[in-house]
Amino acid sequence: MNPLWLSQTWAVMRLELKKSFFNRRSFWIYLLALAPVLIFAGHALDVSGRRGHRQQMGARNPGVTAEKMRQVHSGMTRDEVTKLLGPPAEKITTSRRRGVERQNWAYSDGSAELRVYFAGDEVRGTNYRDACNFGEDTIIFAAVFQFFFLRLMVFFGCVFVFINLFRGEMLDRSLHYYLLAPVRREIVVAGKFLAGLVATSVIFCTSIGLQFTILNMHFDPQVMEQYMARGSGWHHLLSYLGVTALACLGYGTVFLTAGLFLRNPLIPAVTIEIWESINGILPAMLRKFSVIYYLRSLTPVEIPIDRGVPPPLALLALNVEPVAPYIAVIGLLVVSAALLAIAARSARTLQINYGAE
Amino acid sequence: MAVYKRSYKSYAGSITAEWSRFWIIPRFAWHGLFKQRLLTILYVVCFFYPLGAALVIYFNSNMSFLRQYIPVPDRLIDIGNTFFFTFISVQSVLGFILTALIGPGLISPDLTNNALPLYFCRPLSRTGYVAGKMTVIAALLSLITWIPGLLLFTLQASLSDSKWWDANAYLAWSIFLSSVLWILVISVLALALSAWVKWKVVAGGLMLVVLFIGSALGEMVRQIARSDFGRYLDLAYNMSRIWGSLFRITEDTGSISLEESIAVVLAFSAFCIYLLMKKVRAFEVVR
Amino acid sequence: MSADLIAFDNVSKFYGEVLGVNRVTLHIPPGITSLVGPNGSGKTTLMNLMTGLLRPTRGSITVCGLTPSDPEKFFRLVGYCSQFDSFPKGFTGFEFVYSFLRLFGHSHAEASRIAWESIERVGLQEAAKRKVAGYSKGMRQRIRLAQAIAHDPRVLILDEPLNGLDPLVRAETIALFRDFAKEGRHLIISSHVLHEVDIISDQVILLSSGYVVAEGQIKAVREEIEEHPMQILIRCTRPQALASRLFEHDHIVEAKVHSDGGGLLIKTKSADQFYLLLNQVALGGFDIQTVAPVDDDVNSVYGYLIGQEEATR
Repeated sequence: MNPLWLSQTWAVMRLELKKSFFNRRSFWIYLLALAPVLIFAGHALDVSGRRGHRQQMGARNPGVTAEKMRQVHSGMTRDEVTKLLGPPAEKITTSRRRGVERQNWAYSDGSAELRVYFAGDEVRGTNYRDACNFGEDTIIFAAVFQFFFLRLMVFFGCVFVFINLFRGEMLDRSLHYYLLAPVRREIVVAGKFLAGLVATSVIFCTSIGLQFTILNMHFDPQVMEQYMARGSGWHHLLSYLGVTALACLGYGTVFLTAGLFLRNPLIPAVTIEIWESINGILPAMLRKFSVIYYLRSLTPVEIPIDRGVPPPLALLALNVEPVAPYIAVIGLLVVSAALLAIAARSARTLQINYGAE
Repeated sequence: MAVYKRSYKSYAGSITAEWSRFWIIPRFAWHGLFKQRLLTILYVVCFFYPLGAALVIYFNSNMSFLRQYIPVPDRLIDIGNTFFFTFISVQSVLGFILTALIGPGLISPDLTNNALPLYFCRPLSRTGYVAGKMTVIAALLSLITWIPGLLLFTLQASLSDSKWWDANAYLAWSIFLSSVLWILVISVLALALSAWVKWKVVAGGLMLVVLFIGSALGEMVRQIARSDFGRYLDLAYNMSRIWGSLFRITEDTGSISLEESIAVVLAFSAFCIYLLMKKVRAFEVVR
Repeated sequence: MSADLIAFDNVSKFYGEVLGVNRVTLHIPPGITSLVGPNGSGKTTLMNLMTGLLRPTRGSITVCGLTPSDPEKFFRLVGYCSQFDSFPKGFTGFEFVYSFLRLFGHSHAEASRIAWESIERVGLQEAAKRKVAGYSKGMRQRIRLAQAIAHDPRVLILDEPLNGLDPLVRAETIALFRDFAKEGRHLIISSHVLHEVDIISDQVILLSSGYVVAEGQIKAVREEIEEHPMQILIRCTRPQALASRLFEHDHIVEAKVHSDGGGLLIKTKSADQFYLLLNQVALGGFDIQTVAPVDDDVNSVYGYLIGQEEATR
């Protein structure tokens, strides 16, 4: 490759990386990436803090079992609850409104916990929190990764970063500076794309790495050693990191190209989100023209759909016939390369008409 | 020293009351809004459900008329709190979509074109400006939520006996309050986003993102922490919880109390107002 | 095609159904060339077409034998200071000039040196480390100019370059343009300030409603406008007698004694014939002190060619 092209690509990347990482607008991306980390961190702290407390509550009321706690439901009276589980390990009066006293009762069998919310004498709600279980947490992590992290956080992050690369600059009326430099427009596309890819991959891979570490931090060190050293821990972590980077690559090329062709980014974003969501029910041929099809085939943990997943989420989890990992990676690379080629071709004939923005 | 003849005389005619000046903003805004075909079509679509509901109420009380043509039971459906709750829920979703289209274009063009100093160098306060912009959304949304809701309620009341009235009189208040609350919350959200995001299409998209990402984060907390506290992040859930209480629809609400839901909605609105007032100024700080 | 000309060959540009420029054929030699015309006449379109920011609907454009489709060579030759008063977000003046110099393949040290030199040429050293967002209009104009000239282009295209500049900086900038032109480079400038165009331009291109109305050296253009007789002011001692003597000739269409009584304003259909005649008259005993044309400047030519057209629209 021409050394000038390399230095020019790097020069474009330097300009764009600065914008992607340090622009005030990028605050949203950090917020999106950090949100799940904060949730996992909160959970880890909560679990660590509560472990001892639950054991104490369980010791106070040895007759309480997980099965009995699950039997409590709305409409029961205080007497019925007491008859089933005995006196509560903790009782808090939250408020008194219109003469009705509201109380929270807490029970535990030493590991799981039940909160019962009373309005007067009647149970108005319950919150049963199972004990943390490594296997279950691994599945929850996989579900959060697929349903929320990939489909919302990474998706919207890529919408923002990659559409901004061209369309954002047209809106700011500063794209012409690139087009007036002695640089091939293909180089501009490549530099901008690589900068976007590096920025999103670094931000979201850091996020997934932190989530994974924090999620597993509060388990017994022996269990963790077993999982990481002798089990599939490293494979899972590397797979999640790889899938995240590939998601940035796939969605990145889609939105970079969309930003070059369409003036309103909402239209491609909403259309692609819907297309990705209904991927599971599309005909086999059409299914291949989506990013999530390949990504789902690469995720390391299968989510059992019968785990109380609501119907819309079950639709998202559906992957009728996953492809082999190498085909998924190659497929995604081919789709991305094709889209990049279209973007580069479009950039060659790009005209500056800011008035139309 | 030169002495000039003072020929200038300021305007001495009558002027409108200060409190009413904010009206000038919605007057011009409405004029511009309905030039957009998509918006006009959507607004017309917003009246389909109220019309259908009016027909249902009418036929429900006049089944003998229908019975002449087709065999029907004594009553089609029970017109009560669930009927009006559903009505407000459907109209509120449409209202939200409408706001996502209208709201972001209200303040962002003024900021982009540095027009705020032009507004505020006239006798118009920041509150008046925001009130004017909010009126644009509030009036349009009122016409598709609580106004038809109360008309339907009046229609049902006039076709029913006093027993229905005794049991359901509170619904008038529920319809009004639930609609106004929703209108206020989504108006301040739309205006806050419009004030912070220059690109109005992005601001419109962000309205959807705030709602979806909020619900998604709430669900993530529920899944990860096995706790209902994630619902504090879910604006739609908390709003629906308040409406449920206003319409006296009871359901297992988990650990989030009504007071907590109200607090969540108030905190959310206060944050939006804070963001809005931070940006709506007669000057701009360049960093 | 000459490697020293900017050539437009039957170029048209339409924005949908709206005309940008139509059937423009031009060959612009080195020197300072001003594009003059009212708003919407097509000046900026012509500049954007020249630099490849727009693509012609019809025709072709070459700048010293190159086209924008070969950007690696083309933009080493061409510098364009556009009318867009916008910058990449968060840059200081120096970073703005420096960053785009890196795209030319310069090393960090080289790009820094060139950027400072260029900033110095527009006199913005003190503000160079401040954010562009805090610059005044004139400073923004100058930093854009610095960016356009930083790579030492052979062809410099400037859209309204004197806008927002104070009189002192304006004079310095004009001097800078003259220096550029003296070195045999092309300077294409669009401007509304006609007396400045008059001072700095070697040739003008007059545009109206997307069409080229006239092009060339301003005096030559003036001479071509036959429907408006040339006006010449003669300072002399006996203006009435001179008027009666001149009226004997057909090409003199009007003669008016100047309000101060010390001169005569005449209108002639043929400037060449008039100057020949003037030699004879001078020999005939009239005390002629000065002879000066009064309407062969851009302002008058603009008025004759475009002013009327605008007025009849």
